[in-house]
Amino acid sequence: MDEITSVYIQESREQLAEMESCLLGLEQNPDDPDNINAIFRAAHTIKGGAGVIECHFIEAFTHRVENVLDALRNGALTVTPTLTTLLLGCCDHMVSLIEVLAAGEAGPAGELQAQGEVLSAQVQGFLDGMAGGEPAAASELTVADREPAVEVENAGGIVLNDSWHVSVRFGENVMRGGMDPLSFIYYLASLGEILNIATITDAIPVAAEMDPESCYLGFEIQLQTRSSKADIERVFDFVRDECELRILPPNSRLSEYLKHIQELPEDSMRLGEILVRCGALTQAELELGLSQQKLALGDDGTSAPPLGEILVDHKVVNPEVVEAAVVKQAQVSDKKAREARLVRVQADKLDQLIDLVGELVIAGASANLLAQKSRQTDLVEATSVLSRLVENIRDAALQLRMVQIGDTFNRFQRVVRDVSKELGKEIELHISGAETELDKTVVEKIGDPLMHLVRNSLDHGIEPTALRLERGKPACGRVSLNAYHDSGSIVIEVADDGGGLNKEKIAAKAVERGLIQPGEILSEHEVVNLIFEPGFSTVDKVSNLSGRGVGMDVVRRNIQALRGTVDVASVDGQGATFTIRLPLTLAIIDGFLVGVNKAAYVIPLDTVVECIELKNLQSDRNFMNLRGEALPFIRLRELFEIPGNVPSRESIVVVQFAGQRAGIVVDQLMGEFQTVIKPLGAMFRHLRGIGGSTILGSGDVALILDVAALVQSVTQSELQRFSERGQSAPAMLSNNPFSQH
Amino acid sequence: MGQVVHTKGTAVAASSGTAAPGQYLTFTLGGEMFGVGILNVKEIIEFGSITEIPMMPVFIRGVINLRGAVVPVIDLAARFGGKVTEVGRRTCIVIIEVPDEETRHDIGVIVDAVSEVLEIPGSEIEPPPSFGARIRAEFIQGMGKVAGKFVILLDIARVLSVEEIAMLTGVESAAGEVAPTAGGG
Repeated sequence: MDEITSVYIQESREQLAEMESCLLGLEQNPDDPDNINAIFRAAHTIKGGAGVIECHFIEAFTHRVENVLDALRNGALTVTPTLTTLLLGCCDHMVSLIEVLAAGEAGPAGELQAQGEVLSAQVQGFLDGMAGGEPAAASELTVADREPAVEVENAGGIVLNDSWHVSVRFGENVMRGGMDPLSFIYYLASLGEILNIATITDAIPVAAEMDPESCYLGFEIQLQTRSSKADIERVFDFVRDECELRILPPNSRLSEYLKHIQELPEDSMRLGEILVRCGALTQAELELGLSQQKLALGDDGTSAPPLGEILVDHKVVNPEVVEAAVVKQAQVSDKKAREARLVRVQADKLDQLIDLVGELVIAGASANLLAQKSRQTDLVEATSVLSRLVENIRDAALQLRMVQIGDTFNRFQRVVRDVSKELGKEIELHISGAETELDKTVVEKIGDPLMHLVRNSLDHGIEPTALRLERGKPACGRVSLNAYHDSGSIVIEVADDGGGLNKEKIAAKAVERGLIQPGEILSEHEVVNLIFEPGFSTVDKVSNLSGRGVGMDVVRRNIQALRGTVDVASVDGQGATFTIRLPLTLAIIDGFLVGVNKAAYVIPLDTVVECIELKNLQSDRNFMNLRGEALPFIRLRELFEIPGNVPSRESIVVVQFAGQRAGIVVDQLMGEFQTVIKPLGAMFRHLRGIGGSTILGSGDVALILDVAALVQSVTQSELQRFSERGQSAPAMLSNNPFSQH
Repeated sequence: MGQVVHTKGTAVAASSGTAAPGQYLTFTLGGEMFGVGILNVKEIIEFGSITEIPMMPVFIRGVINLRGAVVPVIDLAARFGGKVTEVGRRTCIVIIEVPDEETRHDIGVIVDAVSEVLEIPGSEIEPPPSFGARIRAEFIQGMGKVAGKFVILLDIARVLSVEEIAMLTGVESAAGEVAPTAGGG
């Protein structure tokens, strides 16, 4: 695929995304002209690009969509829910078409093609309905005035033909600018039918003087189309500054043709002939016209007025069109300015940069260390300035990879809209925390699990409207997406205000599927989390949205692959909340550096509540009295089997995560440390309790503790140990075969 | 440990017969001479500080900082089921690039001493003995004959199979979770 095509595909995807969000906005705000214009611009840009890369199937379809949008813009059509749905369908179809192009296929396959035809027919239906209903308003683009005029007048009268006359002279630099005049003609042909075309070669100089890179061509074109003048003009948007373009509408006055002939640089007689040849004028009309012309000149003999004036005078363009063009130009330059502020960079180049910055940080830290050892004040000062700068660079570089989750969330507006229509429920999506940033790779991978959860909430969570009213809830259901940072991880919540999960049903199903033993007592929380077990689905009827019984299991697996966890909480009659907790991979975190023997570990600072000295233990059990609260703790030395003697003074770092507190016993507290997370790689993917690694100023590698997983695994192993010994585990699920391994 | 290894890799027998590289980096390990294809070797570094990873099998010595990248280090002698390598004056870490499906991993290998790069023609390479080498047969790509002595040429993709090592670490860390935390709670 050539570069232009791939750029086109990329841009079109963005345009389509924008178009979709605007279309969704259209439902709320049907009369917002800016919004409609934005939709139109998106469609037009796609069409224009398709013309340039000569991708006709996209061009043709988009053209039809554009017709409707144009009618909307002119007020000839009004926004109705059916129309928005149709336009959203068209938008989806365009996405599919772009994918066809991206796949390098010549055209859409049978099914897609059929779908396109259905949509086109529907679009046409709208246009036809409009033309019948309000012909006056739609005069600019419909065929209302395509009937040949009945009366024949004299030379000042109307030339009888039903086609546009387009006259274009390409500037010398068109080809240097990367434009092929031919593609414009092709594109023009997509607007309608080119009845006749005459090539004007008069500008070509003698061979010796000719520059093969220059364009000397001009065309006189008879075009039969339903498009508006603006549409035809837009075909030449890309070369607007570079070419001379004149467009005469159908049934123009003869005098306009004459003006046209005069204004062109070529010889009048010859041009006249060309016009006759391409069917714009008949020979008789031409002769009549020219003689009239001479007469008129003889009468007043004034010089020709400026072009714009002539055009407006003769109603070739009306003042509104000129104004619209000015506005449009402003918009275009606005958009260009906005694009200029964005630079597309390949993700791997960014990774490379961040790797380098990471090395810079480490090198800087060791230089700092050496400077301090040398005791040269100047050197220390210089390196400290340097390390501050390096820190800024690192922050900026890491920021580059972070993206806001908002875009991902906004995609669900469409999902909620479509699904709620399909289900006949009234549901609104509420988004908060859209500005929460997380790593790009995580954002890319979280889409599918989120989709499943949202659909699940829509399908199973929110009750039918009648039931909601009966329960005294507002008719409109509410699904909310929320994201925030918590204790060094990112939390994404999907909540609904529906009926909540049916615990009896889940328990019964779990027994039926053999996931739990009958009579086994589980806490509410454990019961609802059974839905993440493989092959679990409580809905008896399988809908086409969710409920195939693979969903939740897959969701959990996908999230675990990101080293995250998912959890559900449910309140009967008030709704359910799914909570996804993801670690910040490849991000900068504030760490708290601790030491055990010679090894250093980083505890994410967000999880650290306080540090206290380990003393006054009443027993050798692993918990202590923290202001009246029994705080369990983990001895890192024992857990990690670190050799060496226990020092006389140990400290406890109190950590908090997901509402739980625990202590971690370490030898030394070494203070805060800005941590660049380095993943440990595939070899250590089963390792739990370690979230990654980082490189210290000395060049040594320190491990980052994943506090939540660490505590969880210790809890589990103790449970296991006690159940193996045949003792009953206190108030907990005793041998849960599907608790995480 | 050894049992786990043996139950795992029985399926793979045919060593990679694809145009073996002619040049081998040879090194000693527990007094024996081994060789790896030179094309897999990225660099040889001095034995420096290694950060141990808890709850890992013994043959994973830990990770090192290789100019900003965190690279795992494997103790080959322990991987072959022998003793843990003692660090001496000539102990080195050979950084080896291991292809794994579409990606490549850099893995460090501790060796007692690096000897030299030898050119061993294909005719001088014998198939591995079916047993007796005290190394899993599939680890051996061939036996190179150099000056009347055998050099064990290792099949790096198998010896340092990330997939297999990850599986072993999974077993180990699951077991490791039960073992520690003496004292009860």
